[in-house]
Amino acid sequence: MTRSMKNANECLIEVSKLQYQYPDGTHALRDINLKIFENQFIALIGQNGSGKTTLAKSLNGLLKPSSGYVKIDGLDTRVKGTTKKIVTKVGYVFQNPDHQLFSNTIEKEIAYGPKNIGLGHDEVNQRVQDAAQVCGVERGLFQDHPFFLTKGLRQRVAIASILAMRPKTIIVDEPTTGQDLRQSLEVMNFLRDLWLHKGHTIIIITHDMNIVADYAQRCVVLTKGELVMDGATREIFSQPDILAKAYVKPPQITRLAQDVLEYNFPKDVLSVEEMIQAFKKIARKEH
Amino acid sequence: MMAAQIAENTHQWRYRLDTSLRVSQRMRRTLLGTVPVHSPLYKLHPLTRFVTLLFLGVLPMFIDWPEINIMILVAIFIYLSWSRVDLSGLKIYLPLTITVAIFMFAISIGFPGYKPDYVGFPFMGLQLFFQPLFFTLASYWRLIAMLFGTIQYFSTNRERDTLVAIRTLHVPFVISYFFSLSLRAAGMFMEDMRIIREAERARGLDETALTLADRAKLYAMYLIPLFTLAIRRTDEITNALVARGYTLSGKLENGNQRSDYILSKYPFRLLDRALILGMLCTFVLVVILRVGFGYWSMDTDPLRIYLLAMLLGGGQ
Amino acid sequence: MKAISCQELSWKYSGRKRFAVENVNLDIEENTFVSIVGPNEHGKTTLVSCIKGLIPANYHGIWYGKVEIFGEDNRNITGQKMASEVGYVFADPESQFTSMTVEEELVFGLENIGLPFQVVHDRLEWVSEITLIKELWDKSPYEISGGQKQRVAIASVLAMKPRIMILDEPTSMLDPIGKDSIFDIMTNVKNETKMTIIVVEHNIEQIAPLSDQILLMYEGQIAKMAPPEEFFNNSDFLVDHGILPPQATAFVDRLKQDGFYDGVLPVDYEGGVKATRQVLQRHTA
Repeated sequence: MTRSMKNANECLIEVSKLQYQYPDGTHALRDINLKIFENQFIALIGQNGSGKTTLAKSLNGLLKPSSGYVKIDGLDTRVKGTTKKIVTKVGYVFQNPDHQLFSNTIEKEIAYGPKNIGLGHDEVNQRVQDAAQVCGVERGLFQDHPFFLTKGLRQRVAIASILAMRPKTIIVDEPTTGQDLRQSLEVMNFLRDLWLHKGHTIIIITHDMNIVADYAQRCVVLTKGELVMDGATREIFSQPDILAKAYVKPPQITRLAQDVLEYNFPKDVLSVEEMIQAFKKIARKEH
Repeated sequence: MMAAQIAENTHQWRYRLDTSLRVSQRMRRTLLGTVPVHSPLYKLHPLTRFVTLLFLGVLPMFIDWPEINIMILVAIFIYLSWSRVDLSGLKIYLPLTITVAIFMFAISIGFPGYKPDYVGFPFMGLQLFFQPLFFTLASYWRLIAMLFGTIQYFSTNRERDTLVAIRTLHVPFVISYFFSLSLRAAGMFMEDMRIIREAERARGLDETALTLADRAKLYAMYLIPLFTLAIRRTDEITNALVARGYTLSGKLENGNQRSDYILSKYPFRLLDRALILGMLCTFVLVVILRVGFGYWSMDTDPLRIYLLAMLLGGGQ
Repeated sequence: MKAISCQELSWKYSGRKRFAVENVNLDIEENTFVSIVGPNEHGKTTLVSCIKGLIPANYHGIWYGKVEIFGEDNRNITGQKMASEVGYVFADPESQFTSMTVEEELVFGLENIGLPFQVVHDRLEWVSEITLIKELWDKSPYEISGGQKQRVAIASVLAMKPRIMILDEPTSMLDPIGKDSIFDIMTNVKNETKMTIIVVEHNIEQIAPLSDQILLMYEGQIAKMAPPEEFFNNSDFLVDHGILPPQATAFVDRLKQDGFYDGVLPVDYEGGVKATRQVLQRHTA
């Protein structure tokens, strides 16, 4: 069920026959073929242990393929010494910001990546300013210790520190886990902004199908290390049987529409609003 | 009732519990390896096994004779294979033992020092001295015996075994508890460390290209996230302990001792008594003979005397 | 009988400007299932910490009012008695583990309150059955899945057979399979014990059907408390307070507002399907 998206945009990451085996022998990924294009919003979904995090970490060279290859802008991640080039192309935001904030001021934190890739003083400063601004991290906070920020702000600093390396693709691991509704909307709207207005490709790993329905343009579904579905979100959610095999449950409203299909509801309802529209059409037509 | 309805309702989306994650029960993970659940080792009480750590891990310290230490080493391997520990797992220590050997011998050959009674001999164009060389040989085997005496314990026991052993000795609860919390913290610490390193690489850090000084700086950097995580967790663990009625003294509010269910699950047999007594007596005897009467000291080693005689005889 | 009674309860953490919980009056009857919802940092966890007595015991701050547990002021209840009266499960299962095997973890609390061997043994069997973790006894709590970890955490508290059980966001760190298993366990506990259960939870879709009462905490105060059928009336109010009703409920609520439906709001998915069908039958026949 692999289906590459029709897309005139440039291919940023190419994954071919990717296998990944952990040192203890577990096959985490089996024969993954995938193309990530410029300016897409992709959700990587599947149960824990399905290999989605392993795949995400392979997409920026944190994990090297056991066989097959991952090419980022033509660069093979297995080639030694490519780390510094790769991080300027694909950024990875970890789930818990506490794991990735190493510095004692926010300014140093955001500057860490740009310095690592060997940029000059002025360039580093410029990037810190830009990234902080995009992420809504105020200048007044620059000398603060990340420890004392709220979780939402720590997450934004973490994203800013990745953005400062100006990667085209940004992978965010479970951006909404443990967050409430407002915090989730805030981070997701911010990511959508990066996608819509700044031209980034965003890849999120998430378990929240409502978030997927509301934000992702494309879904990649993994089960037991295999890529089982890849396509537009609407199409993916309209195939509940295959999703069930991947233990993925579409949003409640999508399931509701699918449970009353005999009344001619569409299979791919993604929001309550769409459901209302569909209902009004059906109720009116039948009258 | 609504809840009952739900319980009965086996809707298509209710998932099976994670049966796929059940791991085979046959092997049991220890601190450094795996041991079959039905290993004969488990006939021994954890305290007996703990005493082997003291016995095999410390005894070589009092013995200079390499031939005895090599015998201890052989005994350790026999014990491990009787326990059905996968011996091939010990291969990972091979590089370590070789590195230590190279390091120690290189130093003793390169910087032997000098004393008037040193017996020199040429070897492949190098001037070697017997005494420092033999001293290194003896120290090396002593070290290796101690190392494997320790490794054997951690390959065959889990944290839980150690705790049971300590509690059997009626060590105050707070001490054994502190020990178990540190073990637990160490596990989380290692996991955090792994993620932090990954996060650094995700920000363009190439560890292979670092100088030694940079690496030192890098380790200093880890401290910030590690402390942050530790502080955030301290709160929770304190609350979790209080929430389940934990007191530092290990005493109940009516003054009685807290009960120890886990401990009562391990029978302490006659065999355990005999073994522990045997090991402790041997240990004490060795220490007395060594410290008080100079047994097994370097100078009295028959191997050394023999080799020295050969060397001196050959030289004349 | 009242299991919990908060009277004019207020708490301010020292160093903070605002009260985390302000002037809360709350009565919870024995053997009810109450879920607490609301945005983060609006006093949910603080409220349950006050009930359990973790506040003021382990924190600095200003306390007004009082909390009674079965009629007794909770500041007069000693630590070990409190442990067997009120159980508390934390959001992050890993951070509350104290032991290196699941079995030790389960008996830790029981040992602390000095129960004899046979009782501990029986409780261990009982709790493992309810929480489906028997096969994990010999494992390290760190090498099992997230859902299993949280089941162990719940079991270790449940084993103490507290009369009140508090669960603070027990599913927030879990994947959907893990979440489902925790909701299953909560259903089991609700059905098989007479415990009073209080759950702080973001997953409204799954917690609503289990709840006898839903309580919305907002800016340190109780903004709304009602049985689920009433709680989701007026969804605008909820959305303003950072709460999204379950989609099926929201949909039926919209039908209701537009005059297509006049029954009671469904609180679970099955109820939503039923209500939708009803409306469709009436309006398409």
